[in-house]
Amino acid sequence: MEVIKGRVFVLGDDVDTDQILPGYAMAEPFDQLGKYAMAGAPGLDFLNRVQPGDIIVAGRNFGCGSSREQAPIALKMAGVGLVVAAGFARIFRRNAINIGLPVYVAEIADVLKDGDIIEVDMVKGTVRYAEGQVTAKPLSENVLKTLDYGGLIPRVRAELGISQ
Amino acid sequence: MNLIESYLAKAADLDTVSAGMDISCKVGYVAAHDVTAPIAIRQFREIGVDKVFDPKRVLLIVDHIYPASSEKARDSVWIMDDFAREFGIPIYKKGEGVIHQIMYEKHRAAPGELVVIADSHTCTCGGYGAIGIGVGSTEAAAAMATGRLDLEVPAVVQVYLTGKLKENVFGKDFILYLGEIFGTDYLTDKGLLITGPGIECFSVAERMTICNMGTELGSMITLFGTETKENEVEEIREIDLSTLNPKIAKPFSPANVCDVADIAGLPITQVVVGSCTNGRINDMEQVALALKGRQVHPNVNMLVVPASKDVLNAMEEKGWCKIIREANATVLNPGCGPCFGAHEGIISNRDVVVSTTNRNFPGRMGANKGQIYLASPATAAASAIAGKITVPGTDSL
Repeated sequence: MEVIKGRVFVLGDDVDTDQILPGYAMAEPFDQLGKYAMAGAPGLDFLNRVQPGDIIVAGRNFGCGSSREQAPIALKMAGVGLVVAAGFARIFRRNAINIGLPVYVAEIADVLKDGDIIEVDMVKGTVRYAEGQVTAKPLSENVLKTLDYGGLIPRVRAELGISQ
Repeated sequence: MNLIESYLAKAADLDTVSAGMDISCKVGYVAAHDVTAPIAIRQFREIGVDKVFDPKRVLLIVDHIYPASSEKARDSVWIMDDFAREFGIPIYKKGEGVIHQIMYEKHRAAPGELVVIADSHTCTCGGYGAIGIGVGSTEAAAAMATGRLDLEVPAVVQVYLTGKLKENVFGKDFILYLGEIFGTDYLTDKGLLITGPGIECFSVAERMTICNMGTELGSMITLFGTETKENEVEEIREIDLSTLNPKIAKPFSPANVCDVADIAGLPITQVVVGSCTNGRINDMEQVALALKGRQVHPNVNMLVVPASKDVLNAMEEKGWCKIIREANATVLNPGCGPCFGAHEGIISNRDVVVSTTNRNFPGRMGANKGQIYLASPATAAASAIAGKITVPGTDSL
């Protein structure tokens, strides 16, 4: 989990939850949500272009807006393996970690283009790309622990002593 | 400690806390609505406990899509209904109103108590002194099971208010102004504490409007304090309320704010008054005052959405529903209305909307290029009559 390598998909600042998962799709059944990933930004043609393991790289305030967990769930179901952004809205960031989708704060969107390959070490705090690397704050122990469990629910089960 | 820290310390059963500390807090209420509850219920069942932490303190409320606009929306209600029956918890499923208003009217948290709702506008309850923390479905599910929430104590930015508002300036204009000065992410993960003698300008309902949009500024907790300035905070901003004019947020960000006067005259096609932001009695009073004896412009659809049945009852008793209907506007059932683009007033790319709701992102109310301007009920109503964006109090009879 700590080192993730993949092809990037570059987005801008203030990517809101209505773009990630639009209101009209919120009542869709859980297993259908992946079909609506980034459907609120139709110009991106995201679903036709995204590949399993891709990394979204974005600017400031990624995931601003609604608390809908359908947003990170849709990205995860569409194959996104990691989101790296200059900043995340609080609820989106927690939602993503809670469902086991890693998110990482690093300012790198400006030097990348779609299709570039990056390698993100969230424990050491580095993002490497073809021409160099940037350093960033490592993930906290608390967040790593939740991700290692695969999300908040398995972690809560373990902490409550509920066996499989 | 400042007020936010004092409340968090009490909830965590600690003598003292400071910014950056990871703490575990006792929760007063946990709730979810028809968009967030189905996933929360799925996650709760995955945890595998056989009861919620306190059946009087866990609630489900159908507000986003009522009455059901699709089979899928109706299925969400059945999931909630089954869960409520099985675990013996209250459910509101007959269009009683928006979750944040129902919590205020029927399950009001005490000052300092933690309210955890799977909805980003949970911060609304900071208007009546509670600590509202918006979460997603999974965190709500964990809180339903454990009665606790883990969080990092936020650094606190205090906004200290002096002066009195002009007559056509309201809580909505003030929070839009905060968006203008702070932007959408300066307050990310921080607490926003509003204090000073100027807070007397705002009723509890207005304070709820202000706190409601704290999340649009990124804040984790938004809370009204006292008239006294607090010193143990990260930063203090002083604002003289008498300097404020009516404000409006242009597409496509709630922080893309200017004076209404700067864009007055822009033709509009729809007006929405309501939502958890501005669907309370005082908001409806502004609409009734503006519409009495007048007509909504022929080019404009005006939709009025009370935040709850209690608000609608008050509107009927005071004769406001009749005023609104006679002005050629439509009173919708209590709930979230068209705010989030799933039903009851979806817009096309040709529409230009003035709305008292809280978000104007691309596609928020329907079509991606539809334009949404966020403003106070007074500005919305004045604009509905004129058929163009209008500074309230300046439209001629």
